[in-house]
Amino acid sequence: MKNKILIMASIILATVFSCTDDFNEINEQPDALTSSDVSAKYFVTTLQQKLYRSTTVPLWYGDLLHPDQFCGQWAMGHSSYAWNGDFGWDYFSVLTDLGSWDWYAGYNTNLTAYLNLVKEGGPLENDQYYALGLVMKGLYYHAFTDTFGNIPYSQASDLSVELPQFDAQIDIYRGIISDLDLAISIIGDNTITGAGVDQLGENDVIFNGNMQNWKQLANSLKLRIALRASGSPGEDFSANAASEAIASGVLADNDALFEAFADETDIWGGSASYGDVWHNFPTARWKISEAMMNVLKQSNDPRLGEIAKPSVGGTITILKPTDGENVSLIPDHVAFLQSTLDGAGLVLGTDYTWTETATDLTITMPDNTNYVGIPSRLSGKIKTYMEGNLFSDPSDIVTQQTNQGSPIFPTIVMTSADSHFMIAEAIVKGLVSGDANTYYQLGLQKAMALWNTATSSDFLASEMGSLNGSSEQNLERIATQRWLANYTNGYEAWAIVRDTGYPTSAVITSNNNDIISFAGELNGAYPQRLQYGSSVYTSNAANAEAAVSAQGPDKMATSLWFAN
Amino acid sequence: MIQKFKKLLLLICVFSAHTLYAQTTTISGTVTDSSDGMSLPGVNVLEKGTMNGAVTDFDGNYTINVSNDNAVLQFSFVGYSEQEVSVSGQTAINISLEQSSEGLDEVVITALGISREKKSLGYAVTEVSGDNVNTIKDNNLASSLAGKVAGLQISQSGSLGSASRITIRGNNSLGGNSQALIVVDGMPINASLPISGGGSQISSGSADSGGTPSYEPSISGGGISDINPDDIESISVLKGPSAAALYGSRAGNGVILITTKKGTRSNRIGVSVKTNLSFDNPMFLPEFQNKYGQGTFGAAYSTPNFNPLANDGNGDYSWEALSWGGSLDGSQQEYYNGDTRAYSAQSSNVEDFFRQAERSITTVSVDKGSDMGSIRFSYTNNSSNSIIENSNLSSHNFNLRAVNNLSDKLTVDTKGTYFTQTVNNRASTTGAQGLLAYVYNMPRNVVTDDMRNYQMANPATPSEYNEIRYAGGNAGNPFWMLYNDKNDVRRNRFLGFTKINYEFNDWLSAFARIGTDVTNIRDNAVKRPGGHFANSGYMKLGQSTFTELNSEFLVTAKHDLTDKLNIVANVGGNMSKRTSEGMLVQGTDFKIKTATFINNLNVVQAPEESPLAIKKVNSLYGSVNLAYDNFLYLDVSTRNDWSSTLSEDNRSYMYNSASVSAILNKFIDPNKEVFNLIKVRGSVAQVGNDTDPYQLNQTFSVRGQGYLGLTTVEASPVRLNADLKPETITSSEFGLELGLLNNKLTLDLSIYNMSTKDLIFDVPVPAATGFAFSRDNIGEVTNKGVEIALGASVLNSDNFSWNTSLFYSKNENKIEELVDGLDSFVYNESIDGGVKISATEGGSIGDIYGRVWTGETDAEGIPIASDANVLLGNAQPDWLGGWSNTFTYKDFSLSFLIDARMGGQIYSQTSAEMDANGVSARSLQYRESGVVVAGVNVATEGVNTESISGQEYWTAMSGISENYIYDQDNIRLRELSIGYKIPVGSKFGLQSATVQLVGRNLFFLMNKADDIDPEAMFGTSIGVQGLSHNAMPTLRSIGLNLNLTF
Repeated sequence: MKNKILIMASIILATVFSCTDDFNEINEQPDALTSSDVSAKYFVTTLQQKLYRSTTVPLWYGDLLHPDQFCGQWAMGHSSYAWNGDFGWDYFSVLTDLGSWDWYAGYNTNLTAYLNLVKEGGPLENDQYYALGLVMKGLYYHAFTDTFGNIPYSQASDLSVELPQFDAQIDIYRGIISDLDLAISIIGDNTITGAGVDQLGENDVIFNGNMQNWKQLANSLKLRIALRASGSPGEDFSANAASEAIASGVLADNDALFEAFADETDIWGGSASYGDVWHNFPTARWKISEAMMNVLKQSNDPRLGEIAKPSVGGTITILKPTDGENVSLIPDHVAFLQSTLDGAGLVLGTDYTWTETATDLTITMPDNTNYVGIPSRLSGKIKTYMEGNLFSDPSDIVTQQTNQGSPIFPTIVMTSADSHFMIAEAIVKGLVSGDANTYYQLGLQKAMALWNTATSSDFLASEMGSLNGSSEQNLERIATQRWLANYTNGYEAWAIVRDTGYPTSAVITSNNNDIISFAGELNGAYPQRLQYGSSVYTSNAANAEAAVSAQGPDKMATSLWFAN
Repeated sequence: MIQKFKKLLLLICVFSAHTLYAQTTTISGTVTDSSDGMSLPGVNVLEKGTMNGAVTDFDGNYTINVSNDNAVLQFSFVGYSEQEVSVSGQTAINISLEQSSEGLDEVVITALGISREKKSLGYAVTEVSGDNVNTIKDNNLASSLAGKVAGLQISQSGSLGSASRITIRGNNSLGGNSQALIVVDGMPINASLPISGGGSQISSGSADSGGTPSYEPSISGGGISDINPDDIESISVLKGPSAAALYGSRAGNGVILITTKKGTRSNRIGVSVKTNLSFDNPMFLPEFQNKYGQGTFGAAYSTPNFNPLANDGNGDYSWEALSWGGSLDGSQQEYYNGDTRAYSAQSSNVEDFFRQAERSITTVSVDKGSDMGSIRFSYTNNSSNSIIENSNLSSHNFNLRAVNNLSDKLTVDTKGTYFTQTVNNRASTTGAQGLLAYVYNMPRNVVTDDMRNYQMANPATPSEYNEIRYAGGNAGNPFWMLYNDKNDVRRNRFLGFTKINYEFNDWLSAFARIGTDVTNIRDNAVKRPGGHFANSGYMKLGQSTFTELNSEFLVTAKHDLTDKLNIVANVGGNMSKRTSEGMLVQGTDFKIKTATFINNLNVVQAPEESPLAIKKVNSLYGSVNLAYDNFLYLDVSTRNDWSSTLSEDNRSYMYNSASVSAILNKFIDPNKEVFNLIKVRGSVAQVGNDTDPYQLNQTFSVRGQGYLGLTTVEASPVRLNADLKPETITSSEFGLELGLLNNKLTLDLSIYNMSTKDLIFDVPVPAATGFAFSRDNIGEVTNKGVEIALGASVLNSDNFSWNTSLFYSKNENKIEELVDGLDSFVYNESIDGGVKISATEGGSIGDIYGRVWTGETDAEGIPIASDANVLLGNAQPDWLGGWSNTFTYKDFSLSFLIDARMGGQIYSQTSAEMDANGVSARSLQYRESGVVVAGVNVATEGVNTESISGQEYWTAMSGISENYIYDQDNIRLRELSIGYKIPVGSKFGLQSATVQLVGRNLFFLMNKADDIDPEAMFGTSIGVQGLSHNAMPTLRSIGLNLNLTF
């Protein structure tokens, strides 16, 4: 009897313990959504934000330390900066990986998910959303390839390919143009993405859901790519693409801006402004570079006071070293500092005083008066002479922290100023015909308007004011203005410098390593790209190595196809 | 408190009332040792064939009520031969036990809490007694296990209130967790970390990446650190799957099985008071130079007119944090705070930062027993200070255990433990931006106490409410951080179970047990405004709850098939339900700068919710143990798990184990002339392992914060896999146990081979695929090793004894296979980019790759570091050793433990930074004269002739990681205790009184690493082993124990 009870009990227990009725249910995540819960528009906001308002780390380690410095608009290396001036000019895997490669490469997750949702046959199929996605894809891949060169493109986002090959930049350019063409034709005359839940509206932070603006942005990007490709080896599409883009209509009045905001509170996981780095990490503050300051000053650019603040000034005492190698460099370092002040147009005795003794150097400067840019790429050795109060900071609108109720300069996606400059450039290069100066001066107006200023007579009278020089001089002016119009958009400004070589003052190369950073493998050369993220050598090694052998060493000094 | 105690006393009385039910015959007597006539406390007295028993008290006296006059009493005690005596109407039975010459009867606790004779086990189990872990206490029990068990590796990390990493027989998993399972009184306890805290180590990718180093990691407590050492009766370490197969999925990495104390079955109320007072100091500090002061390139300071009090947050931050200034010649120089002072060395400024920390741990326990059962209550109070100011821990632990024999067949065993701990400021000490970065690297002429003036005073004007630092913006002020950058944690934990045991008859018994573990954690991290990071202030409030509920049963049947062949069969089942949930609120920018609470924040981020996540695992298992003629033993076990985390097709999985033990004395040395034990054993076992909830289906997440008030949805970077299978760990083990010369000499040797396949792993994939990781079952990891434990009773005379034991364990870890296209996986890269901790096919987990010197210098003569990362070492030690000794002389005792960790490397980012900053003693080299580095100058392509300064040299050296890869080899005097048993007679009702002088981490006999203790790792996750970065100094503690029993 007892045994029977035991057997019965065992059977019952076995049933109870193998009971898994609720297992499927409890393994469904309560705080997650499936495709039936979502609308494509929610992804659009994510796609825009992830590309244009990155988190603090990519903004700092990526934008600030690399393209923003390399393009010659901002510079670190003054005495108040926490790290040596070399910082960023030497390959440092953590900075490149976290700051740029991982951020760009990681963007593809949301892009792929989005395109798969809205494509033909996808769970949220919608051709207008798909077209918009193709434009975002073009913006993304263009910035990505211009930073690194060959990257996976044609085999990317294909679930059947686990190890996508890297494509040559020329093929990526061709692919982006063909995606843009598709997007332009899908948009046609459409103005909205659809009705009800399909209507994009305010979830489109750039254009509020206006598809015609997206078409213009697509054309502007197509023109940008055509101009960058123009003259590079083997390309045969730039003239055609440029004229098509201009004919179809680039951004004429609207700017594609990613508006600043006052209520973004997720500064760690969400997006950040330059001001969040500036104010949260006071030792990581940067100055207006000598190159940009001097371009602005020489042409009496009305934007000067909007872009830069006068240097703090005051009485500044710099102690000379008493020990070590720097003792012998004192004369060079002192002379360099003085030539920097003179180069900024300051007049000794009027704009500043200079008292040198055997042990120190005292400079006085009126408070908040002079505009002085700091030379880029300074070596750590001269850092202590580059007293922070001598040099100009960026204006408050750029370094404004989020959530303070004050306006913040928007992130630039593409400006109508750049569109006009690009038409002028296409004309000067002979890709299309027209009056280059008209477009150039229209571009100037748009560029000034971005900084709430208008072209002044002083400015129009300067060399920079019109395209009245030789073809090369005109190309230089256009490049310089495109570079200025992309101020705060370092990745694009740096690409302009690499493509055109202008402004020449931004291309700081040197062999004087007592003053200019000679750090690392660049060895004084101008940085032409960033190195691949170290993850490619562990997760996709064979393809990465093939890319390196096709493109040249995975070094910052290796020129990219478009810059050839 | 007094109220509580009164209530508990009342409870004890209620329980004790059961003893009033008397039974028929009462027998009492004294048990003594036959050799010396000394009384024997703790001897088990059992009425044969029943559960009715008693235990002798301190004087060897026992009392037992038996049901009839024909009862037989069994007297058993570890180390003595068992004796049986028939009652035959006697009421007083005095007996003397003989010391066992065989030592065969040692009983150990095995899986599911089943007591087994050690000789019958076919796998390795090491038992550690409670005394061994509660004599020399630490805030974390894990620390007390270090050096005591072959194959067990403990890594410490972090500051007061932080956890340890515990691995047994190496790392089996590529992912985050290779740590041992902790089981307390049969109930697995939760070792999860709260959603904040530990999470800060994991800054990108998934948890499987092992975590990237953070700039200032904070390591949570939890798991074993919540267990009170004074409640521990014994600890069994079940090494590997063979011993632990019955625990299933979670036991693949071994089990630490903790058995807590019950009340002794003595008729009188036993009271014991144990108190420990100890003093902690840094065991050692890095070696600093004292010749050069603050500055760079030989200049004292870059900007002597700096005035920190006028610092408006925008101005001058230019005081160098470096000690590359001029000679500390005592000349009058401007000091960082604006004073003019003698420029002279502060040789003890780092030492001055630390204080002597006091720790007091007191346990009071009360117990009482009878033939009806027993009850024990204990209360422990721990009040500890950290060696850094404003950081302390206090905890209270209440523990009530009651065992009651409701009838001669039915026993109820219940325990409840309530643990509450408050850590005031578990400081983030490690990492590039941790507290100690600014202590170790403080310029050599800075006076520590000057930094106590750390805060500019005007909260009304935020720009005037800033931290005052010795190097402007180039450093933090450690005192500011201690008082204004805080991390408070409160943990409340309840552990409890009820076990009902029923003896159907003399061959069949069963128990059912239900137990729970509930942990509540509240984290509160605050950065006050004005600091060097998060200047406007930041705070975070996290609340998380973890629960674990286990319901189980076990039926045990014993049968003697023949005289010689005995069989024991167990069938059991377990339903495990684990949950976690939490909330996190964080924000920045305090409205009123002097107060720190959520409502005072200008910017509050949307709260993050981690909704209730449930994992259930149901299991059925069984085992059969066959014993033949007391010399051959065979165990087989099987277990089937059903896990809610896997898909229906893969949810159910079964695994088996088998082991054999043979006592060969019969054949080799039957007369036991030399060997009194010759045992060989062997086992094979398999364990399956599941995963976490929600790992199967691709979903989207919605960001609480949204963006500009808009709803935003994101896709996951991990490609999930609905077909995920369980991992399997397969192990085989062979062992030899010898007892020689009457057990004066013992040997226990194990050789094992473990292999983990189908590891559930987030394989990093090219981001171009649309994912960053793909979750798959991949690869194979093996661990092979040897463990040897030697014991000797060197001397054992009336007054003097010396017992010694020695262990050695060696483990070899190898990654046999990863996955096609992935040869190597980088767990993380150190913050300075100097090293990568990776897993490489053909290598082993924790391989350290880093930069070497190329042999070249640049044009200027500065050495160039290689681009490529070269294999420089591995984070796992080759072997561990321990040597413990106990001497007794009359009432005195002395014991010490020396342990060794040999092989394995560690990257000391601490040292690299100290060199770059010019504070280390090493950095004195080349200061005066500079150096011409002997190498090829890349500019001239000839031998370098360019001289560089010491600063340039050491800055370059600090970027070449091979310079800071140190061997982990170290041997230390880990523990020392000197005890004296005070002869008290029975004054004040005292039964015994002992005082002990105890010390931990007294000194190194050898340490190959500079500056650091190689056991102090960066964190507890697998990916940061092999890195040390401004770890808290290892504590040397010296204390006094007073143990009184009444």
